[in-house]
Amino acid sequence: MIGGVKQVGLLIDVTRCNGCNQCVEACTTENRLKKDDTGGAVIKGLSGQRFSAIALSPEGGFVRQMCRHCLQAACVSVCPVGAMYRSPEGVVLYDAQKCMGCRYCMMACPYGIPRYEWDAAAPLVRKCGLCTQRLQSGQLPACVEACPNQVMVFGEREALLEEAHNRLASQPDRYLPVVTGEHDAGGSAVLYISHVSLDFLSLNRPPGAQPLPELSHNWLGKVPGLALTTGSLMTGLFWVIGRRMQFEEARLRKNPQDSGRPE
Amino acid sequence: MISNWREWTKTILWGVVLAGGAAAVMRFAFGLGVTTGLDDATPWGLWIALKLGFVALSGGGFTLAALVYVFRLESYRPLVRRAILLALLGYGSFIVSLIFDLGLPWHIYMPILHWQHHSVMFEIAWCVVLYFSVLVLEFSPVVLEHPFFQNAVLQKALHLLHKTTPVWVIAGIVLSTLHQSSLGALFLMAPHRVHPLWYSAWIPVQFFISAISAGVMFLLLEVYLAERWFNNEARLDLMQKLAQIGKFTLGLYLIMRVGDLLWRGVLPSALDGSWQSVLFAAEILLGGVLPIVLLSLPAIRQHKETLITSAALVVGGVLSQRMALSMFTLWRPAEQPYTPALAEVLIAFAIPAAAALLYLFAMENLAVREGSTQAPRIHEALSHPQWGAYQDHSLWGVITQRSLLAVFVVALAVVLLPNQNNAMATLPKQPVQAGRGWEKLILDGNRASYQVNFAHAEHQERLDCQVCHHLNIPQDDASGCWQCHSDFSQPTTIFEHGLHQRTLQGNASCENCHAGAHNRHTAIDCQECHASTEQGERVSTFTLEAPGYVQAMHGVCLECHQRESQARGRADLAVCSTCHFIPQPAPEGQARLNQE
Repeated sequence: MIGGVKQVGLLIDVTRCNGCNQCVEACTTENRLKKDDTGGAVIKGLSGQRFSAIALSPEGGFVRQMCRHCLQAACVSVCPVGAMYRSPEGVVLYDAQKCMGCRYCMMACPYGIPRYEWDAAAPLVRKCGLCTQRLQSGQLPACVEACPNQVMVFGEREALLEEAHNRLASQPDRYLPVVTGEHDAGGSAVLYISHVSLDFLSLNRPPGAQPLPELSHNWLGKVPGLALTTGSLMTGLFWVIGRRMQFEEARLRKNPQDSGRPE
Repeated sequence: MISNWREWTKTILWGVVLAGGAAAVMRFAFGLGVTTGLDDATPWGLWIALKLGFVALSGGGFTLAALVYVFRLESYRPLVRRAILLALLGYGSFIVSLIFDLGLPWHIYMPILHWQHHSVMFEIAWCVVLYFSVLVLEFSPVVLEHPFFQNAVLQKALHLLHKTTPVWVIAGIVLSTLHQSSLGALFLMAPHRVHPLWYSAWIPVQFFISAISAGVMFLLLEVYLAERWFNNEARLDLMQKLAQIGKFTLGLYLIMRVGDLLWRGVLPSALDGSWQSVLFAAEILLGGVLPIVLLSLPAIRQHKETLITSAALVVGGVLSQRMALSMFTLWRPAEQPYTPALAEVLIAFAIPAAAALLYLFAMENLAVREGSTQAPRIHEALSHPQWGAYQDHSLWGVITQRSLLAVFVVALAVVLLPNQNNAMATLPKQPVQAGRGWEKLILDGNRASYQVNFAHAEHQERLDCQVCHHLNIPQDDASGCWQCHSDFSQPTTIFEHGLHQRTLQGNASCENCHAGAHNRHTAIDCQECHASTEQGERVSTFTLEAPGYVQAMHGVCLECHQRESQARGRADLAVCSTCHFIPQPAPEGQARLNQE
């Protein structure tokens, strides 16, 4: 529960996906993204025009790639203008009116999700918003609705976690014994259960359980103290040294012969 | 027109600036994708490294201000003005490169409106704005002393500035401390991208201390070079003092840097002979240990040339650290390497070149150097009746003198700029033609980079070439499988009704194809209009039905799988999980599919 509104979530059962790309098509249509040259929606991987993609795991197996909607999102934390923000339902959204295009969110996301409209003269950061516009009118996200194989379940995160653990418990041979997204980088709204390792979805290496924002918050917490310390130290030194020089001058005026400081 | 090496230097600088100007036009007209090497794998590149470099080299500004105004070390006073000038230009360059780097630079004021106390970059934004203002205030006395500004109001302002100097100086020190360190803290959030040899929880402190070292050493270089420029002798004692500060802070930085890596046990495992570890070793040894050793030798300290060599090593080492951390060694997928584009490089050179020209302008016209009497060229040029005689030295004069050069440079820059369509680059074309007429073709049917078997001969037999190799979609080599097999399980009519309707002036054109009732049974055959198409007689209205996606895809593989399964007596060759990686069939999903 966040602010009285339930944290939404999406459970992705990787074992059920056969990589048909219907979700990608639906996503592309729903978000009015550019189709490719041939009028289709499928381009390999995420881009400024693809909010989701089907990634092929190195072990085999199709894995839906999309924004995780982290509970403590790195992109939200680093944004200097609040263009990335979390909605009351716990969806990470983007406000183009505030964005200045520094792309810090893209640097910070451990999954490489936010993408940029590199070809545009006024480019925006693009990523999945979990079809918030549909959620508000009581519909399911477009991808969930389009999936022919019920790979995804949309609902309240708590309930989905329970469902995920139930599935793991009832078919232990079918899944790896981990709910990806339960604790990763502080947990995310999107949860995966899978028969293949999902580490390959992370940039370089999977984030630990520590929420990434903590890394810079440790530093930022020290900033006010640092400012105060430097400021008062410098002011103090300025004053003390000034006083001592005044006294020195006065002493020299009194005894002009006494040239140096007392040894 | 170009008489000596000074003029040559300026001319080259102008050339670089103008080339950058051409690239700048491109940058804002066509966006970042075409003019830079940046992409989703490398959201930060050369310009970020450049900005870190500018700020590091500006570290002399607050250091010298602290030494003179807070610690009252009068011997450094001759250096304060030039240190502040360097910092002012450094921060100006930072802001200019930021404008290039930001996707939406006209939103640059947003951090001032929308406070985000949890963002390091928010803090940096504020510090840069404030410190740049402080630098302007700190430097403005130098400008206001110029005879051109001799009037009562401005002199009153000058007096006020002089009186309040300590306030600005202390504010400047605080702001510099905060954001020199916070620039390093930017990278704390990206442990997955920063190379372990450069990542540390102490990056902020490392950045702060190395900025003092690099700033002071850069000032040392500047003192020497500027005095040569003005046919003067740099003061050895001042250079030695700066070198001492630089050496001490460099030592501190090296201990922190290497000590932290040793303490965490990263160093032994990371020095694995990779190019990153070689770069790291070079940075530490050439840019750190070597200058410290050199500057500890009295013989080295006695000569300006050896002093500036050591200083250059330090500056190079710190710049290398900034660039390695933020650009070279940043993690990115192996298949998406980062090479800065030409326009990006041109702009990266043009900004410091413009700063250098501004620097020379300030040095020539304002009392920045110790003992330099003002050479009030602007003043004379504007008040002298024959001001044309002075136009060689005025800003506009230089531009007009070098305008021919400018034309060439701009033209060259425009020619050299890449003219690529990045949207196309994301779609690799599959050379399907290579396999024309083959029975089975392995191709990327839906452009998802997953190769599938495609029964080409079988399709060719039943259909026209142009059904897939479209005539109606420009530059289309082949349709994706899904274009015909568009429904998952239901057969689809693949006649493009909408396209015909649009092309034939909308609803008014129904009668062109439908006689009487408007349904599929009244439609004429394709070849009545498309008579000229090859094998046109085969195409009739109702044969153009494509089976559902599942059926089509299964049709490609199943037959052979089932045959081989029986022939070899291996049941596992023809079950769902052979291809679908499903350990067990998913009950609900399967049930729903069956219903359909």
